[in-house]
Amino acid sequence: MPTATPRTLAEQLRDWPDERLATLLAERPDLATPAPHDSSQLAARVVVKASVLRALDLLDSLELAVLQALVQGADPAEVVSASQPAVRRAEERLAALALVWGTPARPVLVVGDLLRMPEGLPVAEAAGLLEGLAPQGRAILDHLEEQRADGRWGGAAGPTADLVATGLLVRRDDHHVTIPWNVRLALHGDRSTVEVEQAPELAVAERAQSLVDRAAAGAAFEFVRRTELLLDRWSTHPPPALKGGGLGVRELRVAAQLLHVEIGVAALVIETASAAGLLAQGMTDEPEAAWLPTETYDVWQTGSTAHRWVALARAWLTNPRLASAVGGRIGDKPVNALSPDLERSWLVALRADALSALDELGEGQSLAAGTGIPSLVERLRWRRPRRPAARLKQVVPLLGEAALLGVSGLDAVSGFGRDLVEGRDPVNALAGLLPTPVDHVLLQADLTAIAPGPLEQELARRLALVADVESRGGATVYRFASTSVRRAFDAGWSAAEVHEFVAETSRTPVPQSLSYLIDDVSRRFGTLRVGHADSFLRSDDETALTELLHAPGADTLRLRRIAPTVLVSDLALGVLLPRIRELGLAPVVEAADGTVRVARPDVFRARSLRRRTTAATQVRTAAHTAAVVTAIRAGDRTSSARPSRGRSVSTPADVIALLREAAEAGGSLVIGYVGNDGTVVERTVEPQRVEGGQVTAYDARSDGTRSFAIHRITAVSRPDANPNQDSEKS
Amino acid sequence: MNEGPLIVQSDKTLLLEVDHELASDCRKAIAPFAELERSPEHIHTYRLTPLGLWNARAAGHDAEQVVNVLLSFSRYAVPHALLVDVAETMARYGRLRLDKHPVHGLVLSSTDRAVFEEVLRSKKVAGMIGDRLDPDNVAVHPSQRGNLKQALLKLGWPAEDFAGYVDGEAHKIELEQDGWTLRPDQQEAADSFWHGGSGVVVLPCGAGKTIVGAAAMARAGATTLILVTNTVSARQWKAELIKRTSLTEDEIGEYSGARKEVRPVTIATYQVLTMRRKGLYPHLELLDARDWGLIVYDEVHLLPAPIFRMTANLQARRRIGLTATLVREDGREGDVFSLIGPKRYDAPWKDIEGQGWIAPADCVEVRVTLPEGERIAYATAEPEERYRLASCTYAKTLVAEKLVAQHRGEPTLVIGQYLEQLDELAEHLDAPVIKGETTVKERERLYAVFRTGEIQLLVVSKVANFSIDLPEAAVAIQVSGSFGSRQEEAQRLGRLLRPKADGKTARFYTVVSRDTVDADFAQNRQRFLAEQGYAYRIVDAGDL
Repeated sequence: MPTATPRTLAEQLRDWPDERLATLLAERPDLATPAPHDSSQLAARVVVKASVLRALDLLDSLELAVLQALVQGADPAEVVSASQPAVRRAEERLAALALVWGTPARPVLVVGDLLRMPEGLPVAEAAGLLEGLAPQGRAILDHLEEQRADGRWGGAAGPTADLVATGLLVRRDDHHVTIPWNVRLALHGDRSTVEVEQAPELAVAERAQSLVDRAAAGAAFEFVRRTELLLDRWSTHPPPALKGGGLGVRELRVAAQLLHVEIGVAALVIETASAAGLLAQGMTDEPEAAWLPTETYDVWQTGSTAHRWVALARAWLTNPRLASAVGGRIGDKPVNALSPDLERSWLVALRADALSALDELGEGQSLAAGTGIPSLVERLRWRRPRRPAARLKQVVPLLGEAALLGVSGLDAVSGFGRDLVEGRDPVNALAGLLPTPVDHVLLQADLTAIAPGPLEQELARRLALVADVESRGGATVYRFASTSVRRAFDAGWSAAEVHEFVAETSRTPVPQSLSYLIDDVSRRFGTLRVGHADSFLRSDDETALTELLHAPGADTLRLRRIAPTVLVSDLALGVLLPRIRELGLAPVVEAADGTVRVARPDVFRARSLRRRTTAATQVRTAAHTAAVVTAIRAGDRTSSARPSRGRSVSTPADVIALLREAAEAGGSLVIGYVGNDGTVVERTVEPQRVEGGQVTAYDARSDGTRSFAIHRITAVSRPDANPNQDSEKS
Repeated sequence: MNEGPLIVQSDKTLLLEVDHELASDCRKAIAPFAELERSPEHIHTYRLTPLGLWNARAAGHDAEQVVNVLLSFSRYAVPHALLVDVAETMARYGRLRLDKHPVHGLVLSSTDRAVFEEVLRSKKVAGMIGDRLDPDNVAVHPSQRGNLKQALLKLGWPAEDFAGYVDGEAHKIELEQDGWTLRPDQQEAADSFWHGGSGVVVLPCGAGKTIVGAAAMARAGATTLILVTNTVSARQWKAELIKRTSLTEDEIGEYSGARKEVRPVTIATYQVLTMRRKGLYPHLELLDARDWGLIVYDEVHLLPAPIFRMTANLQARRRIGLTATLVREDGREGDVFSLIGPKRYDAPWKDIEGQGWIAPADCVEVRVTLPEGERIAYATAEPEERYRLASCTYAKTLVAEKLVAQHRGEPTLVIGQYLEQLDELAEHLDAPVIKGETTVKERERLYAVFRTGEIQLLVVSKVANFSIDLPEAAVAIQVSGSFGSRQEEAQRLGRLLRPKADGKTARFYTVVSRDTVDADFAQNRQRFLAEQGYAYRIVDAGDL
């Protein structure tokens, strides 16, 4: 620290050596984005409330107590229950975080605003009050003090109200009460806290590291195997993605069944695969999106088990998604795997803290059964006192996840898990613990093949084609069945290849029953041939067919002989028939049911189109065909025929009456008609028929007869007697 | 990495590598709690089932032991979830117990009140229990002892039965070991039954289950009711008991369709007990006719459902079940567990064969091709007719003829399902035939002359599947069977497994029509034996 007292925080920061500044920016990365222009700007950012809140969350209980004392204007060395050097170290760290500055150190203003507690009555008085306090009141104080929280209070009479009345509690606002600083000092005997110098001890038990590593390696192997098994399955049977983006409960349950695990474990496998980029939404032939393995998965698959594990474990370490919530409910909404609302920004930090606390166990130590995990939670609480306590509930599921992944085993960190947490490469340590891949199987007469360890990948893939997997784990049990052998044939293997493959991979002689099975299937394989042809020719006269095949020009018919008496062609019958006739032959056409169709001259017919005969079509046709002039003139007429004095009716009964009258009498009417676009158009029409809610009438505008829906007619009136009308009528 | 012989799979199967040096130690260690599922040549498969784990608890093993065995023999890391599951499953056994009570007769009690509440609230249990005596005890009507145990097993909280057994009416029975001795495995089987109180002994056909039954009777020293599958088998039991024990002809009664004798030792057939008249079982009172000290169930895998119901009322009596396979085609293994009792003894067939206690057997599948004409008939037949058509092809008769000729001089059985086929065979081979309509007297006569060697060839239908003791039979030719029944195949092979005087290998031929449903069924039938290590050799009919 510089000896001279800095005038401002900016000045202090300017004077700091580079590495000190670097530490600050590393610890409080939000200060560095975007890069500040100068120290003044940095100093301005350091005191921003949001940034300070983050920095406060980094403090452990000791540092917080020291800061609190500084805020209250007390000497930390006097009021904090810790040794002098510890207090000094804490002060240094507070300065390093730029939460305090200057000499003597004082908190930046905003820290004071955030943390300051009301002073309250003098300590001695408070101590006196505490002595005479009823146990109930004492319990309330102790609870609030222990939780470091404000109490809720609605103002009702009761022990809390009594405490407020005596001044042992102070109202913070309408609903909250808090312990004042001096009362806190009185509670702890002139100290601000209980002993905070040391983090709480972890409850440990002895456990051989080799056992831990073995158990963890087993878990790691299983985790990789499960991931692969599930994604392989999803390669061919992808589960649909929910509209909201998650994976359906039923699909999750199916996955859990496939993996022989509980729903929670399946969810972890899925979430981790997704975090590692092995799984994403994509499109299949189905119209809906589905969850599919990605291209990264193909690359991942080629790695060794240890490499694959590292990819998964690293993804898990930095996965902000709360996999443990899957299968439960948030509010009354069920939580689906892969659903977008699982992200928790604080989860990565909590996981890192929990693992580093676990990492503090020495070699050969594990968390004690029962008490181990609570002690770890206590330690985390000491280390991050300002974090919401509810988050600590996630520590237990997080440790469970660590065990499932093999980062820990038997409640202790595995050797390779330690490498992972501390940022070294765990591959070598893990590879030594994993079962070595085997390159052979044992074939047995009950048509099973057993791989006594994890198979080499290529071999496993090929074997899974020829035989069905019956049981998985460290070893794999395969069963040969006619269906599985046929699957290999379908994939293009020959019987000889299958024979050779099983003989090659088996360390034991191939049982006779298996050889027979392969031969049996191969004998039946392809007995029936299915193909595609557009037409066939058959004749009982084989020579006639041979003749046709060799006739000049027959090559254009694309004929193929599939039996002595049958030819097929991929030309359609309509094309084939005339060409055969051209060759001078006289074929007869068979109907689909095998009966002969009588030949007759080809009469061509177009397929009749269904015509739309609605009024709209007519109108449109009319519009296309009729001269624009006609329309204009009709328009003119309409306007000129606008009834100026004539009786206009608009009630339905009157409208129908008038229309009927006009239809009977012949004669034109002016109607207001609501068109398809909702506008009312006036038209001059000569009604011909009125029935079924429709008026069929001659429409002068479109020069044709059309129907009008009566309910669309807004008004009807007689046109004024007009000489034009008579002429138009003719 | 550990180099143990055992691989523990996540689906709760255990794979045991037979050729491993620790294999036999491992087998002994896991046998109490794991069910042997398959034992082919290289790797045996065991399965951890709740029943098996409870069997182990019943025999006094705890979860810690089981986990320890798995960990110490396992080659790879044992899936953690499986260990947890083992512990949890085993902890379920014995939370409930049935005890005798001086006042209330029978009392169900529990150390775990939550479980107790769950069970008592279950609808299935509600009708079987009486008054709540205190928070942890409830009275049970003694007649519901079996039903309650059955229901509790279904709920997943099997009760431990400490209510004990009635001694029954004492009746002295002793083994008379002149010219023969009880083999160690038979002794062990009888002992483990006796210590367990009730239960099932699994031994291959031909390994002397009757003798285990006799040994159990001698241990009980009480009046005994023996339930067997049919009359011929009843008479064999009688003959065997007279030969092996101090029992005399007069002490043993036969209770069958023909005779209704109730004596200190009574042998009854399932058929007569389950006979119904006007909706009632008139012969059921046999069960209460005497104060039986022991009930023997022969071929327990065939136990018909009504007998299960009756057995539920007999929980106070000692029960021993004898069988070659616990495979029940109807899947009622759980009822056998809760009503007769847990499995008390089991050994792989091949082990017993290795000891020379059953004859080694060579299983051969002979493939015949349907003649062209029959192939067409087969192809166009209704699906339900196909199996019969494929089974009864004339080609099989020819093969049977050839095989019989090859084994001339050796006692041979030709076994089939369809009567017309059997008649045809009998005519072709010029041999007597035993089928359902053959009278008991005639059957016994034919078996007797076959045993003495007077005739060497018998054609039999499925009536000879079980419990017919033909120790000299060395060759069996199976031409057809009841579809895919695995236990039938095992039983038929069992006819041949009595150790032969000259230590010869028995031959079991099964004739199968290629490319038909017959072949598919044959594969299913053979599965149990293939899993027991009996590898079938396949031979083409033309190569015989």
